[in-house]
Amino acid sequence: MLKRWILDFAYYLDTSKSYQKRKRFFYNILENDKNKYKKYIDIFMAILIFISVGVLIREVKHHVDDHLMFFSNYVISFIFLIEYLLRLWVNSSVSKIIVARAEYDTFLHREVNLYKAFKEVLRVKFAYMLSPMALIDLFAILPFYHELRLLRLFILFRVFKLFRYAKSFQTLASVLATKKFEFLTLGIFAAIVIFISSVLIYVMEGNNPDSPIDTLFEAIYWSIVTISTVGYGDMVPVTHEGRVVALLVITAGISVLAFTTSLFVSAFTEKLDEIREIKTIEDVSKLKKFYLICGYEDVAREVARKLSKSGHDIIIMDESIERIEKAKKDGFTALNYNPGRIESYEKLNIDIDKNVKAILCLRENDIDNVYAALTIRSISKDVFIFSLLMSDTNRKKLDFAGINTVVYPQELVGLITKELVGKPVAFEVIHELRSENADVKIDELGITQRIVDNFPTVGELGNKDFRVVLLGVYKESQDRFYFNPLDDTLLEVGDYLLVVGYQVFILEFEKYLHTKVKND
Amino acid sequence: MTKATALVFGHNMYAHEIVTNVKDKYAQVKVFSLNEEEVQNSELELELFDLSDEWQEVEKYIDVENSMAFCVLEDIAENIFLTISLRANFPDLTIIALASNQESANKLKMAGASKVIPLVETTSDIITNMLEKPISNKVLHSILYEESDLKIAQIRIDKNSHFQDEQLASIDWTRYNGIIVLSVMHKDMKSEFIYSSKAKRHIIQEGDILVVVGYEADIAEFENKIGSKRYVNWSHWSW
Repeated sequence: MLKRWILDFAYYLDTSKSYQKRKRFFYNILENDKNKYKKYIDIFMAILIFISVGVLIREVKHHVDDHLMFFSNYVISFIFLIEYLLRLWVNSSVSKIIVARAEYDTFLHREVNLYKAFKEVLRVKFAYMLSPMALIDLFAILPFYHELRLLRLFILFRVFKLFRYAKSFQTLASVLATKKFEFLTLGIFAAIVIFISSVLIYVMEGNNPDSPIDTLFEAIYWSIVTISTVGYGDMVPVTHEGRVVALLVITAGISVLAFTTSLFVSAFTEKLDEIREIKTIEDVSKLKKFYLICGYEDVAREVARKLSKSGHDIIIMDESIERIEKAKKDGFTALNYNPGRIESYEKLNIDIDKNVKAILCLRENDIDNVYAALTIRSISKDVFIFSLLMSDTNRKKLDFAGINTVVYPQELVGLITKELVGKPVAFEVIHELRSENADVKIDELGITQRIVDNFPTVGELGNKDFRVVLLGVYKESQDRFYFNPLDDTLLEVGDYLLVVGYQVFILEFEKYLHTKVKND
Repeated sequence: MTKATALVFGHNMYAHEIVTNVKDKYAQVKVFSLNEEEVQNSELELELFDLSDEWQEVEKYIDVENSMAFCVLEDIAENIFLTISLRANFPDLTIIALASNQESANKLKMAGASKVIPLVETTSDIITNMLEKPISNKVLHSILYEESDLKIAQIRIDKNSHFQDEQLASIDWTRYNGIIVLSVMHKDMKSEFIYSSKAKRHIIQEGDILVVVGYEADIAEFENKIGSKRYVNWSHWSW
């Protein structure tokens, strides 16, 4: 009966949406670095830690206010206890383990063995509880029993808890972890040197009444102080034999120090690129809307420069390290990922539909562009993909890969020459309008409700007073462009005015449209 | 006898596109290649040339006033050398050259090209315009490349035009329904936007060119009303 009840409850929890949602919420705010609220929790916890340490320091020589003491001992400990329990809860799923066991046994037509399931639950939970960070969390709660003076020192474990909340500590730890073997070798070497020198100095000086080194502890203390090249000088060997030992320890100390320094430096140098990459990905995930450019060659470089000049955020992705270096040198955020692999987009940790304005496949190679486009399409059906086309015979393949728009430079040259031959002046005029450095520009002004309220018809806009030519109105609802519309043409929200004029006058005109107060 | 000829130097995809787009505007299109093998195997009718050529052959059918040379060699150094060579022999020939980037575009201009198409810049301009101003880009594209009924035309003011000696600012354009005048070009000035202060004070004279946008019928009506015609002459194009 009890077994049935436990199984039903486990299945209920495993399938309950609200329960899973809550659990996910706590998991995200405690463990998921990408969660936007996590950093507030981290800051809050760090403040609590600093308060406890502050109280501990103050308490040494002064009386601490009872309320503050209560807060430090009970309230903070209680908050840490809740945090500990929540972490224990979200770390693994009891219901999942029970359900998995039940499914397994049912599949094999056996009686469900809850004993094994609970054993597995305990194993998983204990494995977590015995992990270094969980132990620190546990010790940080202990000062709750503050009557025991020794336990008060456990407050310092709260400082260790900072590792959890500060990312740079984690980076440091991960960097040093890559040199685990080297550090172990160094540790063993240092331990052997310390052991031998402590024993030697104790044997040489222990019985000498003039020597300050009387006990083995003092011998170890002297060895460590000497080997670390700190050398306080509170204890010095007085016998010749003792001084010979000191010479050896000092020589060994220099090599230990040099070895340690070089280990730190090499660990960081090796990991530097990775750390930078992590930082870049973090920066990317903070961007709200950006253009993703796949491939960094001549056209991509110009496009990136132009888009970035007009204030857009740009991310460059290319598999070639040289091209990425070039992009970085040009001041862009660039990632050395292959645009043709799903993994690259997963690493970026972005919502393509939400964060990416458009993806531009600008490799000067159709095969790579098709490959990248197909990969992107397999992740997102809706994102706008734009591509260069290098050979007209591949046009269909690019269409098939789901690319929305292609630009074919050869065709452009053909069209341009045709226009140049037929209407050179007209061509130059239009070309100037599109060029980024021209004074006279063509611009699109969106029609808002406010504009419609103040200027219901085209005739009322008064663009001529601003020396702005109204080329026409684009009606989004009909996807049609009305060239040179009549004065009584009605404006609607969502329409666009296509205007030509000097940049400053267009800006003035736009300001006028948006700020004019309705005359009733 | 000399005829209006398009001379295309270089045999590649660009040359093919150029030939397709200009062949109906010229009496003949001649494509030159540096590669003897290409000359024998190509679908196009190719002529062989080399950069040390003295150009006497070409001179026979060049009518400098009406011909145009397109330099589209892939090697930029060769393209520049070709441009210089053509300019040295034919000071009045209109030379259009293709450049991969701005740097080579400047060199080609120095070498005497009348117009340079910087490929990378042009392509990236088109791409950024498509992304940033999709509507205006679509409209301009359709006007320029005549994908819709909307057209852009350049109209030369004739001797008998009503506009002669009128100040640009004093003309009431609303009388000419359906067309928009974008800019004006005088013999000795660059094309000026219609609302620029220079253009406003300008007094229209014979030979000025108006750049107008409109539907074909409206442009034709405009031509009739002002008594002027559409006109193309490269020698009028100031750089």
